[in-house]
Amino acid sequence: MTPHIITGLGVCSAIGTGREAFFRALENPTLLRNAPRRKVESFDASQYDDAAIAEVPDFDPAKYLGDKGLRTLDRLTKLLVVATRLGATDAGLKKDNLYVPPATPDGVGVVCSNAYGSLEAITELDRVAKLEDARYINPAKFPNTVANSASGYASIWEEMRALNVAVSDGNCGALDAIACADVHLANGRADAILVGGAEAASEALYLAFHRLGMLEAGAFLGEGAVMLAMERADFATKRGAKRLAEIVGFGTAFDAPENETQMIFASTDAMKRAIAAALEDASMRAGEVDVVASGVSGLKPFDMAELGAICDVLGEDVCVAAPKALVGETLGAGGAMALACAVGWLGGITPSAVQSGSAPDRVRTALVTSMGYYGNASAVLLRV
Amino acid sequence: MKRVFITGVGVVSSIGLGRRAFFDALARGQSGITPVESFDAAPLGREFAGEIKDFKVEDHLTAAEARRSGRCSAMSLAAMRMAVADAGIAPEKLRGPRTSVVLGTTMGEADVIANLDHAWIAGGHGAVRRTLLPKYGSTLLPIHLARAIGAQGMVLTMPAACAAGNYAIGFGVDLIRSGRADVVIAGAAEMLQQLQFSGFVRLGAVSPHRCQPFDLNRQGLIVGEGAGLLILESEAHAVKRNAAVQAEVGGYGLTCDGYHITRPHPEAAGSVGAMRRALEHSGIGPEMVDFVNAHGTGTRANDLAEAKVMSDVFGGRRVPISSMKSMIGHCMGAASALEAVACVMTLETGIYPPTIGYETPDPQCDVDVVANTARKGKADVVLNNSLAFGGYNAVACFARPGVLPDPAQVKRRAA
Repeated sequence: MTPHIITGLGVCSAIGTGREAFFRALENPTLLRNAPRRKVESFDASQYDDAAIAEVPDFDPAKYLGDKGLRTLDRLTKLLVVATRLGATDAGLKKDNLYVPPATPDGVGVVCSNAYGSLEAITELDRVAKLEDARYINPAKFPNTVANSASGYASIWEEMRALNVAVSDGNCGALDAIACADVHLANGRADAILVGGAEAASEALYLAFHRLGMLEAGAFLGEGAVMLAMERADFATKRGAKRLAEIVGFGTAFDAPENETQMIFASTDAMKRAIAAALEDASMRAGEVDVVASGVSGLKPFDMAELGAICDVLGEDVCVAAPKALVGETLGAGGAMALACAVGWLGGITPSAVQSGSAPDRVRTALVTSMGYYGNASAVLLRV
Repeated sequence: MKRVFITGVGVVSSIGLGRRAFFDALARGQSGITPVESFDAAPLGREFAGEIKDFKVEDHLTAAEARRSGRCSAMSLAAMRMAVADAGIAPEKLRGPRTSVVLGTTMGEADVIANLDHAWIAGGHGAVRRTLLPKYGSTLLPIHLARAIGAQGMVLTMPAACAAGNYAIGFGVDLIRSGRADVVIAGAAEMLQQLQFSGFVRLGAVSPHRCQPFDLNRQGLIVGEGAGLLILESEAHAVKRNAAVQAEVGGYGLTCDGYHITRPHPEAAGSVGAMRRALEHSGIGPEMVDFVNAHGTGTRANDLAEAKVMSDVFGGRRVPISSMKSMIGHCMGAASALEAVACVMTLETGIYPPTIGYETPDPQCDVDVVANTARKGKADVVLNNSLAFGGYNAVACFARPGVLPDPAQVKRRAA
């Protein structure tokens, strides 16, 4: 991969909104001890015992976007648009929501991962159709049911017209989004791309994890959006942008379970191949990786497969962090949360959620890993 | 930069299963638009759709696959098997990390989420079946396909609304050209479902009986369903196995209107840009284009915008254009993949499929519509337009092998 530059970070998460707030929270051990699961605010959770989600607390999109035009947007869209604006502003592509030359609306694009779309919108309209009549569903809310809706709104709100690509690959989506952004930048289809992922808390999502017993197993759901400003190196240089990190490698792999009836599957082999492919893509050796920002979430079979693969490829001593211990299982946004963690680490922010190993004093390279629920795995390499 | 060839196609559509039945029906101008049977559409005042009546899951999937899959995945699996057979490649040759699967969709497994929601609404959260939950998620479409064929490379869903097929094909080309894959199984699928149907009716976008793209009296779109899958191969891979090459994918152009979530930009600046980029990425000028397979939804706004794209890009040259949606309806996420399959067949046969129901020319849509009956013509280079919800514009370029310049010589666009 031709290296691309990360010049900005837009974050809406349970532990902080904005790059600096997120970084401060990452290194705060008190937050880790009191993981930010709290009483659910985004839906009525009274039917569930002790329901707790790492929601973005007191999320107030109007603070960032103004209060016009928000009424029909769903939570997913609002999280994503805020993260996109924060990322573009942090990168200096925009100031006071106006483009700063040489950045232009036609030169900036969006690539966004999301795993489950707006379940909030789908279930709301299904309820109206079932309990009342399909003729009464609100046409203004129908667009939210379409999976690329939030991503499309990011282009509308932020005037990012070079391209807009929505991707979905479960927990791996935000890392796969990096591969998409890479080819578009490498082909000159955009100067800069806001790339990352978003996922919103909803009762349907909570119910699914609850029914599958995934929450009792130790994981907790989160939500949020992270959008990184990723640029061609020549464009970042031309506009004198700050350089937070370089993206240098990507790898992904899929491995099917042998059992024909099995659906959910944690594959060590896929993770190993994804990491090896990322190293090869970056022309790096395993020994050059200083730290890993993993997708470890508390789901034992997946954590064991992921950590096993990391140790197999990089050695037992490598330092592995689990940002999901702070932000929760954020699914389509999960890889982007880990990317943000890795960017911080490369900038001297040591996350409190270290699973194993100890990081060198100066972190120069970071691997980010994500495991999907169906045998898929992806990895991205960053360096200072 | 490598050449990328199409060596196989597969189709599940309301006018036929498999490339031959599908294209023969298109060339005849056969309509697949019929009264909806899978749910009661009558209360909505719109009863017609391009619904597939003769697709039997058990004819195409193993029992285990059928248990794991929703209808959207099932149609994709069937279309993939047809495409692999059409490519004349032994399925075991596709096993391994050099094969990827990239699929577009709008709603994915819409029947699964509907069943989950309906159970929840009727019986509370205890009524939601645990076994059904892992079957939901658009993520699953390429997973099912990779699993069936043994592909171990990238598995990615591109939910790019009604342009999803072109997005998936385009990204498949990128994966091969950047060396990340030798073969990409690319395409898209969509199933007809009540919520989506109702939503389009409530938006006022659905025509009562038929879809008449570019006609003065057009009344909107007709919802459809289907799956179109293509086997994309690097030149080296295709040559090595002596594959029969059906077409070359040149390049593709993406832009985003950034204007309105459902309406196209009235000046069509984004879609004009997408078509120009597709030509540029393919290393050709507009004079090379013989035919355009239209997005052509039959809505007033879309067809006006698309006519503007044609005049802006081609100037005074009236390039023939036609919309298959007049026959199979708007298959949403699957639309541009099905249209891509038709583009491949047009290149092979020189047949431009017609736009049926075209009766009264719209002076504001001053384009050369292939009206009502198919037309024979030169078919070296064809474009596939998709101008989707969310302001997503994607135009892909397909050509007869040997017509396009070597991609290695095509200068990259300075953004």
